Amino acid sequence: MIKKILIANRGEIAVRIIRACREMGIGTVAVYSETDREALHTKLADEAVCIGASAPSESYLRMDNILSATIITGADAIHPGFGFLSENSRFAGLCEKCNITFIGPPSEVIAKLGNKQEARRTMKAAGVPVIPGSSEPVTDWREGAKIALEVGYPVIVKAVMGGGGKGMRVARSPEEFENSFQTAKAEAENAFGDGSMYIERFIEHPRHIEFQILADSYGNVIHLGERDCSVQRNHQKMIEESPCVALTEELRREMGTAAVKAAKAAGYVNAGTVEFLLEKTGRFYFMEMNTRIQVEHPVTEWVTGIDLVKEQIRIASGKALSCRQDQVRLSGHAIECRINAENPKEGFRPSPGVITDMYLPGGKGIRIDSAIYSGCTIPPYYDSMIAKLIVWAKNRSEAVCKMQSALGEVIIEGIDTNVDYQYEILNHPDYIAGNVDVDFIDHM
Amino acid sequence: MKLDHVFKKTTHDIPGTFGARRDRLPEVPEGLLKKCNKCGRAIIAEEAKKAGYICPRCGGYFRLHAYRRIERLADEGTFEEWDTDLETVNPLELKGYLEKIAALQEKTRLHEAVVTGCLQIDGRKAVVAVCDGRFMMASMGAVVGEKITRAVERATAERLPVIIFACSGGARMQEGIVSLMQMAKTSAALKRHSDAGLLYISVLTDPTTGGVTASFAMLGDIILAEPKALIGFAGPRVIEQTIGKKLPEGFQSSEFLLEHGFIDGILTRDAMKETLSKLLTLHSAFDSKGPVDGKESAEEPADTNASDPVSEDGDPADLIWNRVLTSRMMERPVGPDYIEALFTDFVELHGDRYYADDPAIVGGVARFHGQPVTVICQAKGKNTQENIARNFGMPSPDGYRKALRLMKQAEKFHRPVICFVDTPGAFCGIEAEERGEGEAIARNLYEMSCLKTPILSIVIGEGGSGGALAMAVADEVWMLENSIYSILSPEGFASILWKDGKRAKEAAAIMKLTADDLYRLGIVEKVFEEPSPYTAKTMSGVIAKLDGQIAQFLALYGQKSAAQLTEHRYMRFRNM
Repeated sequence: MIKKILIANRGEIAVRIIRACREMGIGTVAVYSETDREALHTKLADEAVCIGASAPSESYLRMDNILSATIITGADAIHPGFGFLSENSRFAGLCEKCNITFIGPPSEVIAKLGNKQEARRTMKAAGVPVIPGSSEPVTDWREGAKIALEVGYPVIVKAVMGGGGKGMRVARSPEEFENSFQTAKAEAENAFGDGSMYIERFIEHPRHIEFQILADSYGNVIHLGERDCSVQRNHQKMIEESPCVALTEELRREMGTAAVKAAKAAGYVNAGTVEFLLEKTGRFYFMEMNTRIQVEHPVTEWVTGIDLVKEQIRIASGKALSCRQDQVRLSGHAIECRINAENPKEGFRPSPGVITDMYLPGGKGIRIDSAIYSGCTIPPYYDSMIAKLIVWAKNRSEAVCKMQSALGEVIIEGIDTNVDYQYEILNHPDYIAGNVDVDFIDHM
Repeated sequence: MKLDHVFKKTTHDIPGTFGARRDRLPEVPEGLLKKCNKCGRAIIAEEAKKAGYICPRCGGYFRLHAYRRIERLADEGTFEEWDTDLETVNPLELKGYLEKIAALQEKTRLHEAVVTGCLQIDGRKAVVAVCDGRFMMASMGAVVGEKITRAVERATAERLPVIIFACSGGARMQEGIVSLMQMAKTSAALKRHSDAGLLYISVLTDPTTGGVTASFAMLGDIILAEPKALIGFAGPRVIEQTIGKKLPEGFQSSEFLLEHGFIDGILTRDAMKETLSKLLTLHSAFDSKGPVDGKESAEEPADTNASDPVSEDGDPADLIWNRVLTSRMMERPVGPDYIEALFTDFVELHGDRYYADDPAIVGGVARFHGQPVTVICQAKGKNTQENIARNFGMPSPDGYRKALRLMKQAEKFHRPVICFVDTPGAFCGIEAEERGEGEAIARNLYEMSCLKTPILSIVIGEGGSGGALAMAVADEVWMLENSIYSILSPEGFASILWKDGKRAKEAAAIMKLTADDLYRLGIVEKVFEEPSPYTAKTMSGVIAKLDGQIAQFLALYGQKSAAQLTEHRYMRFRNM
């Protein structure tokens, strides 16, 4: 029985989780860094424990401090939120050892899905389509060229140790391959000291489509439809919506079935997300599985009517899923805009500071998940997302209008935000037409 | 807006209804978390273990059990333990002593406070002794002394290197004078081992004190220490009580010892095996294949009559003064640049074992074309900040004593010595005089004259007086084209001879301090042409020439017997 949950996170997601607990009559323990003494999550929780200095590595990432806080306050479960320790299999493992319920999948499942190659192998074996590519690292371009031919052009050469777009090159034809491979390899050697590369089919202008999964400890797995998260800047999602206009009922069923299969293959328990790339042709490929609650979960909540955080807690308490797949209905259309403390005019530079005044919209079909309040401080140490504005309407065009209207009402003073930038996107003809892919922002 | 106590609580209103009752409450299982005994914070035991028993919070080193240390060091399955059957004695007939030993044996599963035996490190065999602080604070009684002595004797007989990890409270009080004698016994065994030309590496770990510091721990050819270990003779509390003063922060730490010249270096745990392995290899037999394969014929002979890069016309005094200025340019490559460019596997060794580690002299072991050599340079800095740290390349007595210590070490292990000379002169200051700058220089001239291994000295910048000569009593001395070598700086020369330091340019013109002049005088054997400008970026041509010539030098002098070498060196200076 879960009576008290420690929320190992901050900001809006911590507040979101505390709210679910309050509604469920579960006690809450907030943890906070020295900077977050006055933060909303610290104040809203029943109890709060300071776990260290401002830098995440000294507080929200300090497993030992968080475990100590859990034991001291007598909490019996930890909700990790997203980011920080949420996908850290070692942390989940430590919770298991301390007989603390980790609200998420078992540690070994996190570990398995966190290893890209292993996750790929698991999915391939389960019959979930994966992006064709090399299964082992390649260091010689000739060997790479052979694989590229098998995979089919265009291909992308990616550093095994890669990240931040370094050590990545596209080759559109066999003639280009050697040059692309060698350039990417040299870059990887420079940046990571390791020139091992993967070769994958390059998927051109895909949509980023993800399926929300729920799985209980009794082997029941359902999906709650998709989210289209194609509007991204630098691989950071900006706008998410559900459902996706590009999915037919049939494709939704096909992808949903694949997502359920993926979760089953991994032995998944709790809420998770299976990410796919979707080609214009309707072909889709497994990318990765996120083993946590997602930032964009509210859009799914709204079109399905299911409270995902409560469902997470129910599953972690050993309850069976509260509904079957055939009871899941997607109704209407939901859109979420992430509001970040950043300045789009200065290369999206983070804009920490004090919110001197603010006014946020409301009314029918408007939801705001946030931890900001008038006079609160946005510290420079953490993610710059400060609020999520979510709207729901009967159909997409009404939802877009509602979002345009709502964004136009937002007032946040004292810091810079991306609200105007989001407003521009919402008024872009391609966005209005639902004609987006992951390169949309780049070409806007 | 203040948010204190404004939100209504909800937990008492709705009964919790989730899940089955759990039978076990959340708790931290025994051993999962540990308290760091250095910083006092809670740490995850597994994390500390993975990091090599180092606190992930403060970086403090925990004491390693002897077998764990051996496990981290030895190639798998190569450790063979020796002498596990010696019995602890009770010469003072102390009541309860033997019972205490028996209890400790039971608790620690150790036979005594030191584990000895032989192992292989990357395939190289070595004898090892590792103290374990859990057993009577690894104090040295008869068994510890005996086990170490036997291990060292066996190493001498089998011609093996010895590595001892020291960690000890000192001699064991409970065994009285017998313990004291162990200090002499272990030291004597190590002396025989050393006289047999064998390598002993001492690794000091926290804490190394008392009679262990004052015996085997401080006798290594190479002495290394783990970071922040307490190392000293008298314990800090005893010193504080005796002198009635608070000791400064960091007193008797590894870092303190390094600064004071008593250890060669501080070694982190993760670098331990690699460094020890490197040192063992550098001290293992090397088969010189004579003249290095084809290199010598491919190389042009050195430019013994370097053509002047500066236009030949103009005032000769200007030309010479130009060379003086060039020799002092901050952009010129400095000693460490040559070490980096000409050698591989360089391991810097620090300290004079008397008082300090002089940063104006950098030295250590390295390989030249695969052959182990001792390389020592006078090190100027590359910028003002570095120059301040390196005292502008002006060595203190400690620097010369460090150089001599490394040369003696080279002699013991039959390694040639290669010196790079670049100093305005020996450091001129109060402390230098207090510690005997003159004595230190004289001692080097004296000892170098009969060092039984080849010595090559290369003047790469300023060869300032006795400070330069103290690293140039060599079989051959070479110079770079724009380097200078003189009795005194031109400024000093002018001021002594003409009571006017400003006449330096005039002095330089008559001092015969250029490489050309010195070659003609027979003071130096070779001169190497320089590109203009000569910097670390443009030095590759010079390096290639030096590389070929050093190879030839080593091939030639490597064949000479010790007697031939010292005779040749004697006559080289005898004839000047």
